[in-house]
Amino acid sequence: MNIIKLTTFLLALLGAPLFLVISALALLAFASVDIDLSVVIIEMSRLADTPLLVSLPLFIFAGTLLSESHAPERILMLSRIFLGWMPGGLAVVSLAVCAIFTAFTGASGVTIFALGGLLLPALLKDGYNERFSMGLITSSGSLGLLFPPSLPLILYGVVSETRIDHLFLAGILPGLLMLLLLMGYSIKQGPAVREKQHKHSTQEAITALRKAAWELPLPVIILGGIYGGFFVAGEAAAVTCLYVLIVEVFIYRDVSFSELPRIMSKSMMLFGGILVILAASMASTNYLIDQEIPMRIFEFIRSYIDSKYTFLLLLNVFLLIVGAMLDIFSALVLVVPLILPIATGYGVDPIHLGIIFLTNLQIGYCTPPVGLNLFLASYRFEKPIVELYRSTLPFLGLLIVTLLVITYFPWLSQVLIKLFG
Amino acid sequence: MNGRDQQRISSLMQYSARLEEGVLCLLLTAMIVLACLQILLRSFFSSGLLWADPLIRYMVLWSGLLGASMATSRGNHIALDLAGYLIPERFQPLVQLVCYIFSAITSGFLVWASILFIRSEIEYGSPGLFQLPTWSWNSIFPLAFGLITLRYIMLAVTQVIAILHHETPAKNINR
Repeated sequence: MNIIKLTTFLLALLGAPLFLVISALALLAFASVDIDLSVVIIEMSRLADTPLLVSLPLFIFAGTLLSESHAPERILMLSRIFLGWMPGGLAVVSLAVCAIFTAFTGASGVTIFALGGLLLPALLKDGYNERFSMGLITSSGSLGLLFPPSLPLILYGVVSETRIDHLFLAGILPGLLMLLLLMGYSIKQGPAVREKQHKHSTQEAITALRKAAWELPLPVIILGGIYGGFFVAGEAAAVTCLYVLIVEVFIYRDVSFSELPRIMSKSMMLFGGILVILAASMASTNYLIDQEIPMRIFEFIRSYIDSKYTFLLLLNVFLLIVGAMLDIFSALVLVVPLILPIATGYGVDPIHLGIIFLTNLQIGYCTPPVGLNLFLASYRFEKPIVELYRSTLPFLGLLIVTLLVITYFPWLSQVLIKLFG
Repeated sequence: MNGRDQQRISSLMQYSARLEEGVLCLLLTAMIVLACLQILLRSFFSSGLLWADPLIRYMVLWSGLLGASMATSRGNHIALDLAGYLIPERFQPLVQLVCYIFSAITSGFLVWASILFIRSEIEYGSPGLFQLPTWSWNSIFPLAFGLITLRYIMLAVTQVIAILHHETPAKNINR
């Protein structure tokens, strides 16, 4: 039995689909304690009792639709006019646009692909050096994960059974802190001699505003709808979907009607990939809980560490490694059920834990040697990956500073919930 | 397996893929419409459809599992894939084949587990949504895992043929 388990692990490393690897381990585990195998499917079928799950496919579809439209160009144009005058203008614009875009499309690497090609040449033309520009884009490929309605936030809510509207609020200040810190660094690193800025006329500003007029209200609709009490977080996804569908297909006509089936099935495939991992981990988690494994790990760790803060530090290191190895969705689904009971044992608030989790996993995206963003950027910009390691290093440092602040000042992620929650 | 059989199977697979795509689009559209309808009914008429929420939840399950089955044929499943860096290129088709075989076996066991599950649902289950027995709502499990198993078997067979013919298989086949 153990040989089979070991082989399964090995196959996971060699590229077997993760949901089958987890399923295989769950099947083997249940078989080894003589429990009927149907329990695996019983656990999976419990997914039909998760009311929040519906927001995943709907937000995925809305995000895919947005990334297939010309929304990125419109938002970029608009932010250039309104933020471009600042010192470090374009870098600040890039960070802001990437953050917004990632929040809506959920950090599946779309940001680097959709925006990288637009931003890199623009940054170089504005006199930023290449290393800085590539580092900026690579690390901002997952920036904005903490802002609503990002998919990882929702997925954490689903897995940990915490309130999504609270998670949405909790992410805002930590996300802003991260954004501001990176912006400050970019302003400092901006080119000393800037090309004479092309003055944007009021006319241009109005045109850009008009062009993006239909996309601008989206965040207001989502947040206003949820916190104004018009609908719950799950329904916000449906409203977003309908709105984006009408705007991109019927008003802007960026996406033609005949393309919809392709985009729809593309987003459902993406969702399917996440759902089966979630389903498989429902089964394996049930086994872990049944065998009281989280409790045993907790007992073990507690015999060495009794301070909550040392535990959090250790957790950060562990999650950074996980984040660099696994993609964010599998990492959340697999690790959260294991860590949550342990963290609760140390008195860490589940919402705060969620923000710590996502920050770590986000940083993991650009951590050498195997962070996903590094590969995507290396592929997109046709640069050797080692060069990207060096260029992301300063950004990585700043992100880790934010991580420490977020971890040790729970206030940051909790104050908005106290005010509005 | 001779050429004609293979052709017949692959056209069957294409047909099922088209069907799946259609069903997926229908499910997604229905989810959007139903969820929006619920908000409308509640906000303006302070009412709602009692059956809509459970129905949406089942549709989420169905669309996800069917989506996963489609992702299988496109090689779109989330995987670690360190093989590209660890294994010399020469052996990669073989490693890929081993992964396909493992996947086919595991999903085969999942089909078996689903059948056990459905059987006990038929025996002890209660009427669910719309008075339909719960097993019919859960029948997507054997269906989707069955399709996934079939696809992995197909992928494995194609891979074997490709290896025997010394083509450059690995990545190109599952696109």
